[in-house]
Amino acid sequence: MIKIENISFDHCIKCTVCSMYCPVSQATHLFPGPKASGPDAERLRIKNPELVDSSLKFCTNCKRCEIACPSDVKIAEIIQNAKWNYLKIHWFRPRDFFMSRTDLVGGMATLFSTIVNFIIGLAIVRVFMHVFLKIPYRTVFPAYEKTTFRRIFKKELRWSQSEFSKKIIYFHGCYVNYNNNRLGREFVKVMNALGYGVEMKKEKCCGVPLIANGYIEKAKKNALYNISSLQKGNNESKIVATSSSCTFALKNEYSSFLELDNSGIADRVEFATKFIYNEFLSGNIPKMKPLGIRAAYHSPCHLERMGGVMYTLGVLKNIPGLELIVLNSECCGIAGTYGFKKENYDISLSVGKNLFTLIDKAVPEFVITDCETCKMQIEMNTKYKVLHPVTVIAMALDRK
Amino acid sequence: MIYDCLIIGGGLAGLTCGIKCASHGLHTAIISGGMNSLHFSSGSIDIAGYDTKGEVIKKPFDYLKTMVKENTGHPYAKTGIPGIRGSISFITEKLSQEGINLNSNNDFNHFHITTLGSLKPTYLSQESVFSARVTDIVDSHEKLAILNFKGFRDYYPEQTAANLKKNRLFKDTEIILGNISLPYYMNTEKNLHEFRSIDIARIFETERYLPRIAEEIKKASGGATAVSLPAFIGVNNYKAIRKKLEDMTGKFIYEIPTLPPSILGLRLDHALKNSFINLGGEYIAGERVVSGSVKKDQVEFLTTRNSGNIPVTSKFYVLTTGSFFSGGLSAGFDTISEPLFGLKVKSDNKRSKWYNSTFFDKKSHPFLGFGVETDNRFNPVSENGKTIKNLFCAGSVLSGYNPVSEGCGGGVAVATGFRCAERIIKEIKND
Repeated sequence: MIKIENISFDHCIKCTVCSMYCPVSQATHLFPGPKASGPDAERLRIKNPELVDSSLKFCTNCKRCEIACPSDVKIAEIIQNAKWNYLKIHWFRPRDFFMSRTDLVGGMATLFSTIVNFIIGLAIVRVFMHVFLKIPYRTVFPAYEKTTFRRIFKKELRWSQSEFSKKIIYFHGCYVNYNNNRLGREFVKVMNALGYGVEMKKEKCCGVPLIANGYIEKAKKNALYNISSLQKGNNESKIVATSSSCTFALKNEYSSFLELDNSGIADRVEFATKFIYNEFLSGNIPKMKPLGIRAAYHSPCHLERMGGVMYTLGVLKNIPGLELIVLNSECCGIAGTYGFKKENYDISLSVGKNLFTLIDKAVPEFVITDCETCKMQIEMNTKYKVLHPVTVIAMALDRK
Repeated sequence: MIYDCLIIGGGLAGLTCGIKCASHGLHTAIISGGMNSLHFSSGSIDIAGYDTKGEVIKKPFDYLKTMVKENTGHPYAKTGIPGIRGSISFITEKLSQEGINLNSNNDFNHFHITTLGSLKPTYLSQESVFSARVTDIVDSHEKLAILNFKGFRDYYPEQTAANLKKNRLFKDTEIILGNISLPYYMNTEKNLHEFRSIDIARIFETERYLPRIAEEIKKASGGATAVSLPAFIGVNNYKAIRKKLEDMTGKFIYEIPTLPPSILGLRLDHALKNSFINLGGEYIAGERVVSGSVKKDQVEFLTTRNSGNIPVTSKFYVLTTGSFFSGGLSAGFDTISEPLFGLKVKSDNKRSKWYNSTFFDKKSHPFLGFGVETDNRFNPVSENGKTIKNLFCAGSVLSGYNPVSEGCGGGVAVATGFRCAERIIKEIKND
């Protein structure tokens, strides 16, 4: 049955502009492009689901097609839907299973982080992963922290938060929790500087890697858990996240893709820079010392799709002594777990090539971007260190 | 206030306005919902192609001198002739800084060949479409070869040739047809019928295929001195590619615009966006403005699809949302409206008067002349009859001209976008 609300493919006027901007079809001819895989093929798939073809797997879900589309067709969503709803996979895929279980793997790895970081850095292990798990040898996994951000928050940060009357709820996401505690600390610091106390609710992985790997039912479970947890108790405060993809999932994909009711949280969820921007706008700008650094800004695809880039730029332009080079919008190619898979490795690098050249040309001291996987990809493939906008604000606060 | 100037719509008018504002140091942003219609354009900029009788205009600026006196509601009458000239030289200069050279025929119009093989008068074109060499080739009736990429379904050289032959300029010209192909296709799983112009442009951009392509061109074009290809000789470094192909084949290479995506238009789009971003402008692509709030004679704020409870504000706003196709105007059963601000629109309330009965009517269609009504400063009028002072309108959202029957869409976009920017710069400086 065609769902009447899901006929955006019918608005497609076949202009092919989406395929032009598709980074994957630029990298390989094996992907017929968003127009052919999305609205064109959807008509056929509705008639006969057997017409789903395997080239859908090349789509990274970067959503650049949706940004380009003049007719507002939800192209990437159509492809994602087709990929997993028609194509039910029942066998166990160890790599995809563990890659998408960020909570499970992260929780374990942080317990033995020193050993884990050592082991996944070993050449022999990487060869093993390359051969048996089809994770490319050259991939550098982000290091695991010694503890989780939740534990740090509970032990150290929580106590000082009660002195603030205004509150926000922080959705830290897996990356901050397991791989980058520092960003969490910096976020709390920035919020405090703006006069907000930080609260945290119980949370599970937002579901983005689960959706990307086809574990839709598990993603729905996580989404339901997050929706109800974030509504418990204090349900006035804004929910602020430092990950652009988590934000997009909580705000949009829970309802549009997973078809769940997220109306209780959707309006409250805000990406960090947008929240900060709004504070800046109302005059609440903390004292910052000039940074004196030159940085290139890369806009993540999903943040662009959310219309969030203007806020990040607005915030960054308010930081004194930050010489900002705004890079032309290009996809970095990693697309979450996509670029960590052997079969996608060449495509992922080929997609990112343009961005890496732009960064090298800009000769910055740092690269700034809002997305953690963009950060991983850029750090793997250029010589630059990548900072989150929140980190940059925290740096400016530091120099008191 | 966040921005000095916020432009809604990122097409030719919006980008011209944005580049001008940003080049004066204004904090400028463009919000663009979806890619602009340069992606569907010929990549040439016309100023005035046809007069009211449908005759081709030879010298557009001479014609406009009298036209603006007779038709005071025309956007050109509001920008003035020096305004048009100024804007054209501004945009030509900006484009050439980004590596796109636009040629003009001194003060005369020139022709470009369409996909169907008809000739359209225009004022500025890329060097693969118009140069002194093109005039030579046409005047001396040199032998032409119209080529296609074998299997490319968006272009039919037979059609171009047949229509071209009907024109007196080409009556005595020998035209041969041919195909080029690449062994490259043997190695791909993609059916080559699926290739669009952009896919082929990417093949041309692959350096190592060029010698082979040149050989194919030589083989297919026989003794012709000039070769036309559908416009897909690369997007970014097309100049170098074309030069190399010309050197290798010893033939002049002409480009004919294809079905969308149009590579010729794309080059302008990329160059203009680069220019805007390099000047410090913010190009917000993934966002759509949903509505604008007007209080008395001022726009208060904009709401975008994702702005939620955080309104987007600016000192000045420019509406360059285009015509019906881009959503700048919307048609109900018997009303035409401007959806973002509900501005006063000049149209006809009787649906049957919106169009002429034949599709390719010489007079085009009345609905193409519909649009937002503005005063001489390009400030529109709100629903309650008040002129909105911090909102300007430019490009095809405007009323008072028919881009198709007059052949002036590009020129109006550039001239009006530029004029709005000048007004805003002046007002901000006066503050």
